[in-house]
Amino acid sequence: MKFIKNHLMFILPLMAILLGVEFYLVFDRTTNTYEKSLKEGYSMLVVSKKPVTLENLQKLNSHISASEKIERKNIVAEIAKGVSKSNEKKILNALPHFYSVNLSEYLGTSKLEQIKKDLEANKNIKKVETFGSSYSSSYRLFAFIKLSLKIFIVFMAVVSLFLIIKQMEIWKYAHRQRMQVMEIFGAPLMLRSGVLFKVAIVDAILATIFTSLFFLYLKFKWAENSGIDMMMQNKEALFKMTDIGILLGTALVIVIVAVYSVVFTTKGVEE
Amino acid sequence: MSNVISASHLTLAYDDGAKEIIKDATFSIKKGEFVFITGPSGSGKSTLLKSLYGQIKAIEGNLVVGGLDLATARQSKLQDLRTHMGIIFQDYKLVNEWTVAKNVVLPLMIAGYSVDVQNTQAQRLLKHVKLSEHADRYPLELSGGEQQRVGVARALAKNPVVILADEPTGNLDDYSSNVIWDLMENACQQLETTVLVVTHKIPSIFSLPYRHFIIENKGVYEVH
Repeated sequence: MKFIKNHLMFILPLMAILLGVEFYLVFDRTTNTYEKSLKEGYSMLVVSKKPVTLENLQKLNSHISASEKIERKNIVAEIAKGVSKSNEKKILNALPHFYSVNLSEYLGTSKLEQIKKDLEANKNIKKVETFGSSYSSSYRLFAFIKLSLKIFIVFMAVVSLFLIIKQMEIWKYAHRQRMQVMEIFGAPLMLRSGVLFKVAIVDAILATIFTSLFFLYLKFKWAENSGIDMMMQNKEALFKMTDIGILLGTALVIVIVAVYSVVFTTKGVEE
Repeated sequence: MSNVISASHLTLAYDDGAKEIIKDATFSIKKGEFVFITGPSGSGKSTLLKSLYGQIKAIEGNLVVGGLDLATARQSKLQDLRTHMGIIFQDYKLVNEWTVAKNVVLPLMIAGYSVDVQNTQAQRLLKHVKLSEHADRYPLELSGGEQQRVGVARALAKNPVVILADEPTGNLDDYSSNVIWDLMENACQQLETTVLVVTHKIPSIFSLPYRHFIIENKGVYEVH
C-alpha cells in the first residue's frame, strides 16, 4: 500500500504536468486551424492612384501575402446605372484602383495599424481600410482564450512541480541512509542512485501511458460521440502519435532533474 | 614497509577554516600497523578519521592515503580509494531496509562481484563474525553488539588495505567489544591490513604490538 502511495504521489503531479503539455499541444493545433481560417477569411482594402503589383505592396510591408485586383468595371456598372457610355468611361478613368489584400499571419490590431501606416506612406496609395473593429473583436476574444489557457497550464505546472518537489523530499528522506552508506564505501553516483532512477523512469513511463490513454480515449471515443461539430471535425488534432515522444521526453527531463536534486543534496555522511 | 597514510603539516577545520580542529600535524602509518588514536571528547579524533576517507579536506598541508593525495584527488579516484577501505562507525551505519547478508556484501556489490560470489562471501563473513543464523534478518532486529559485528564483517568483506574504525566498541558490552577487537587483530595479523582505531581508551585485553597517537590542543603526538 505504501509502495503504491509513493508511486501515485509522484505519478499524479507528473500526469498533471503532462496533461497541461498535451492540452497546450491540442490547443495549439486547433487554434492554428482557427487562426488559419481567420487569416484566410480576412482581407483589407487598398485604394491606389495607379496600379500596384504584389511585389510593390510587399516592399511596403512584409506581412502582405497576396493581393487581388477588384475589377473597376464591376464597380462602375453598379454606380453608373443609367449613365451614358461616354460618361461611364469618364467615371472609369476617374476611379482609383482597388485591391483586396491578404496577410501572411493572424495579426493584432496594432500591427494592422502599422500596415496601414506603411502603405499610406506611399504617395500612390490613397486609402487603406483594415476593417479593424470587426477584426479586433474576434482577435481579442481569441487572444484572451489563448492567454487564459496558457496561464492555467503554467499555474497547473507550477503547482504540480511543488508537489513533485515535496515528493522528492520524501524520497530524499527514504533513500538518504542507503545512499550515504554507499557513498562512504565508494559507490559511484549511478550505483547509489540507481534505485531512484529506476523508480523515477518507471513512473515517467507510467505517467506518459496514462496521459496518452486519456487523450486516445478523447480522440477515439469521446470526440466521436460528443455531438460537438468542432470536436468531430478536429478529431485528428486531439492526439498524434508524435505526442507520445513529447510527453515521454518531458516526463523524463522532469524526473531526471528531480532525481539529481535528491542525489546531490544527500551527499556526505550524516552526523 | 611503505607508508599507507602520510600526513604532513596537516590542518583540518570547520566553517571554512574559522574553527581549526587539527593544526600542523605530521605523522605516517605503515602497511600492517595497528594504530590507536585517543584524546578527550571533541579533540578532533573523528575529524581526523573523516579526513582519511576524504569526507573532510585539509585546509593546509598534505594528506596522502594509499598513494593518493586527498587534497587534489578527483571524485572518481576518491571513490576508488574508498573501495579499498573498510570503515567502521560507532553508530554502525547499516542500511536498515537491507538484510544483514546484503549489508555485509555492500563492498563486493560496489566492486561488481557476481551475486553468487556475494552470497558465498556473505556466508563466510557472517560465520566469521558468528552471525550465520542472522543472514536474512534486518539490522534493527539485532542487538547493538550484533549490528557492530555486521559492520565489522562489511569492513572486512573485500580484504581492505586500511580499516578505519571510529569508536567501534563505544556502545557495546564487554563480550561484544572483545569479539570486535579479536576480529580487527586477526585482520591486521593475518591479512596485513593497516588498522586505525579512534577510541577513548585502549582496551586492556589488546595483545598485538601497536602505535598510539594522542590528540591534544589541536596537535597529533605519538606516545612512546
